[in-house]
Amino acid sequence: MENAWLIPLFPLLSFMILLLIGKRLREASAYVGILLTLASLVFSILVLFERFSEPSYLAKFNWLTIGDLHLTAGFEVNQLNALMLFIVSLVSFLVHTYSKGYMHGDERFHIFYAYLGLFTFAMLGLVISPNILQTYIFWELVGVGSFLLIGFYYYKEEAKAAAKKAFIMTRIGDVGLLIGMILLFWQTKSFEYSEIFNAVEAGGVSNTMITLTAILIFIGAVGKSGQFPLHTWLPDAMEGPTPVSALIHAATMVAAGVYLVAALFPLFTASKTALLTVATIGGITAIFAASIGLVQTDIKRVLAYSTVSQLGYMMLALGSAGYVAGVFHLMTHAFFKALLFLAAGSVIHAVHTQNIEEMGGLWKKLKLTAPLFLIGTLAISGVPGLSGFFSKDEILVAAWEGGHPVLFLLALIAAFMTAFYMFRLFFMVFTGEKRGKQKDVHESPSVMTMPMVLLGILAVVAGYVNTPWFGSFLGDWLVDGNPALGHSHIEGPAWIMIAATVVSLAGILLAYLIYGKRSIAPDWLSGKGDMLHTVLNNKYYIDEFYKLTVVAFVTGFSYLLRFIDVFLVEGIVKGVTGIVQGLGRTGSKMQSGQVQTYGAVAFLGLAVLVVIYALTGGYLR
Amino acid sequence: MSLETFSQLNWSIMTPEFLILGVIAILILMDLFMPKTLDRKILGWIGIAATFAALVSTASMIGGPVQSILHDTFRIDSFALAFKLLILVGGALVLFLAVSYEPKDGVERYQAEFYYLLMTAMLGAMVMTSSGDLITLFIGLELLSISSYILAGIRKFHGQSNESAMKYVVNGSISSAIVLFGMSYVYGLTGTTNLLEMASQLAALADSNHVYLLTLAFLMIVVGLAFKLAAAPFHMWAPDVYQGAATPVTAFLSVVSKIAGFVIVIRILLTVFGFAATKGQDSIPILYDMQNYLAVIAGATMIIGNVVALRQSDIKRMFAYSSIAHAGYLLVALTSLTTNMFQSIWFYLLAYLLMNLGAFAIIQVVTEKAGSTKIADFAGLYRRAPVLAVAMGILLVSLAGFPGTAGFIGKLNIFIGAFYAEPGHYVLASIMIATTVVSYFYYFSVMTQMFFRPAEDESKFNIPFGILVVLIIAVVGSVLLGVMPNIAFDFMQNNMDVIGDFFK
Repeated sequence: MENAWLIPLFPLLSFMILLLIGKRLREASAYVGILLTLASLVFSILVLFERFSEPSYLAKFNWLTIGDLHLTAGFEVNQLNALMLFIVSLVSFLVHTYSKGYMHGDERFHIFYAYLGLFTFAMLGLVISPNILQTYIFWELVGVGSFLLIGFYYYKEEAKAAAKKAFIMTRIGDVGLLIGMILLFWQTKSFEYSEIFNAVEAGGVSNTMITLTAILIFIGAVGKSGQFPLHTWLPDAMEGPTPVSALIHAATMVAAGVYLVAALFPLFTASKTALLTVATIGGITAIFAASIGLVQTDIKRVLAYSTVSQLGYMMLALGSAGYVAGVFHLMTHAFFKALLFLAAGSVIHAVHTQNIEEMGGLWKKLKLTAPLFLIGTLAISGVPGLSGFFSKDEILVAAWEGGHPVLFLLALIAAFMTAFYMFRLFFMVFTGEKRGKQKDVHESPSVMTMPMVLLGILAVVAGYVNTPWFGSFLGDWLVDGNPALGHSHIEGPAWIMIAATVVSLAGILLAYLIYGKRSIAPDWLSGKGDMLHTVLNNKYYIDEFYKLTVVAFVTGFSYLLRFIDVFLVEGIVKGVTGIVQGLGRTGSKMQSGQVQTYGAVAFLGLAVLVVIYALTGGYLR
Repeated sequence: MSLETFSQLNWSIMTPEFLILGVIAILILMDLFMPKTLDRKILGWIGIAATFAALVSTASMIGGPVQSILHDTFRIDSFALAFKLLILVGGALVLFLAVSYEPKDGVERYQAEFYYLLMTAMLGAMVMTSSGDLITLFIGLELLSISSYILAGIRKFHGQSNESAMKYVVNGSISSAIVLFGMSYVYGLTGTTNLLEMASQLAALADSNHVYLLTLAFLMIVVGLAFKLAAAPFHMWAPDVYQGAATPVTAFLSVVSKIAGFVIVIRILLTVFGFAATKGQDSIPILYDMQNYLAVIAGATMIIGNVVALRQSDIKRMFAYSSIAHAGYLLVALTSLTTNMFQSIWFYLLAYLLMNLGAFAIIQVVTEKAGSTKIADFAGLYRRAPVLAVAMGILLVSLAGFPGTAGFIGKLNIFIGAFYAEPGHYVLASIMIATTVVSYFYYFSVMTQMFFRPAEDESKFNIPFGILVVLIIAVVGSVLLGVMPNIAFDFMQNNMDVIGDFFK
């Protein structure tokens, strides 16, 4: 673990090599990136295993001394960091590999890999930072990496706009983080996580201050993790290349907000208000984004809204004091969402469109991608046995036991919607008749499918590290030696698990009835058997019934939320920029070029100051 | 004073000034006797060499005791040395820009003047750092200003340049008048021009009428000197002058001249008004009493600079507003008045010097090539000259105050200072954060041009040697001080006792 600081440096090395000689290496750049991230991955696995048996490790040195202020820098390996190192380096390695196929033939191939290296460096640096200032520095650097990668296709207007939007929107959140951080520093005289927690525990910080700083820091997380109302950049960010969406906008960077809340968890638990805020925002985001996902027709946008929604789940879990549930879902989500994005990339690679209405009938043509996509879809829908089921169940239990019945209900409805729109996506893409212009569709090369297979396996089995049936290994390990993080496992009533299963299956069923029924029921569905058949017999009115009521309602609701999204949230953003722009216009109008005006303004300024002085503090009083 | 005592004075503490002065004289003579056909560039290199010699001689005085000559009018203390170093480094970099400056509009005939006027302006700034007396401060200020007026108009056959010089002279004269008027009040109340004597006399000020007059003087001096800082309400000359002046001159005005402005502001405010009592011995000094006024100026400066910069389509005007904004950030540090104020301001000026001069080096190359100063001329720079684009990217990011760069550390320092101060300046800190976010928009609009827009012509760039030197120093410095800021802070901490020296 003493050498954990090397882990972020490999991708940095890759970035530098590719920046210097990438042009000459051309597509061989991929090997540089792949090998160096593999080195990171190997180290991360070693560190993870070492952390299983040894205590946490912290190294730091004096970075900056100003007067009597000492700021340190260093690295730390605790359970959360070790786990994050593993997730980030794994997904990054797989995305590096996958991109070799996906980006093949791109003129700026080496630059893409250089940017990937920069991003991975920043993200790994972020997760081993032992203090909040260092976290902040890498946090911003991650933003730069994301900015560059979203805008990679810079000749596309949308990509340019999306890159800018992502950067600015997350900056708004970062301001909150920065202020919160400085306030914490001011209160506790330290940026170190451990010392902040000690000060909070010792009661050295007033309750209002804890709540205030926690909420300010949470605003940073809201921006980065695409939570309501700062989520609008994330769907737009889908303009970037698909492997980027998998790496940054599904598995790693957007999870940084969740990570930050988890890393500062003892601060959040010290304030009920802060926790409640986190939970509420998380719950609202979960259902809000899920409902918008129902009507999207762009394959990546559906996945983007689903990411926003799942991140909302994680926040809900953390806000309900379910530390383990949140981190657990962060992990499983990283696997299955990366899988879904890579599979979606494989589909796009094959049919050259992102519009799902122009797809269909791809099951037979994409022999490997399709089943893998199905695995991802099942996992995210929370079908029993797959990873998403266990982690989502933990979250629901946490929300229920945390005393948030309303949020619990929202989460349950969101789970239903998730299952529905994910299967809607699946059916429209893979089953039915072929639509649109599909020419010589073929499966992606193995360099792209192999990473997907690996993620597919993880999407199935990753849940078993923490189950109500086989013991909560992950939970025990995560909270070991740190009572502030809460219980390793929250016992919940059994009906929650059943309810979760039922809503998930109901969502799938509904999706099948509406989008799947157009095809002759394929053999693979018959396994689901009797219940399905009984319902199928009545499919006529149920179908109509759903269409008239549920679907109409849900669609309407979703359009309403979309409306709020477009007009209210964006409207406020536009309003603020409008005011700033207006001020700018007035300012430049005053700049008339008349030298008399300039002198007059200076005199006027002086006069105003003198008059104010005379009135308030001086002679006239 | 007999000639004997005159010659026995410790003149050696003025070595850097004498070096520069001597070389200026040599340059003037060389210019006079050199055949008209010979290239004057060599004079520029001599100037650079002299600046380096002065830099070395200044550096050799670091760590020494406080010394002063000529009745304390010229003094060497840590404050003087620290800021003189900045001015010399800035001056040297500007001279590098100047020798690489090759416009096509008739400056060639005044090349030699161009070099030595830059040096006289720098000399004025150096004298200001070491002044312990209102008279020398003002002489230094005027030497700097008058040289700058001519420099702004050195492109004699260029309409904008003439306009720029004219506006600069008129506004500069107004500012000098206001400052002098303010100073006359202070002199009238104390009967001396020596800053430390003034301080000791004013420390027991109790008469409320006198306090009132002195506070008026405070406001006048601050507003008058705001001209040199390009701070509100005396900022409006900056965009016009910056746009019209030759690029190295603009660089000089935005960096060296601004540093000198802060030097004189700090010197006067801290020594005179930092002691001048409001209600007799041991009462609150005027400076603390008037903190809110400084805060208002700082806040207004940040808002005006950053917000109006959004609307600019001319790169030099945009940088003029950006330099106004940076003056605002620096004023936040001055307003906070913490014990770390000197370090904060010094470090920020160092960071600002590096990133701004680096940016101007690139602006000079790009605008010379394009023949105009539009931001749109940066379109596609990444394809035409990747090195320039990446360097500019790093410098812009530093100007915006992004983590990992010197600009971030500078802002962080000031920001922490504003919170640490008793009482804390939260409103000011929030304005600083908000306007910093605004600044992202205009800095990034240049980035978008460079990286995301196609170029209009694909011709490549030749990077002159002088520009290359400036760029390397600026980029390496900005990143190095961003990653290992302790280099600068340790230097300051270990070698300088600024606060201790200041009032000796």
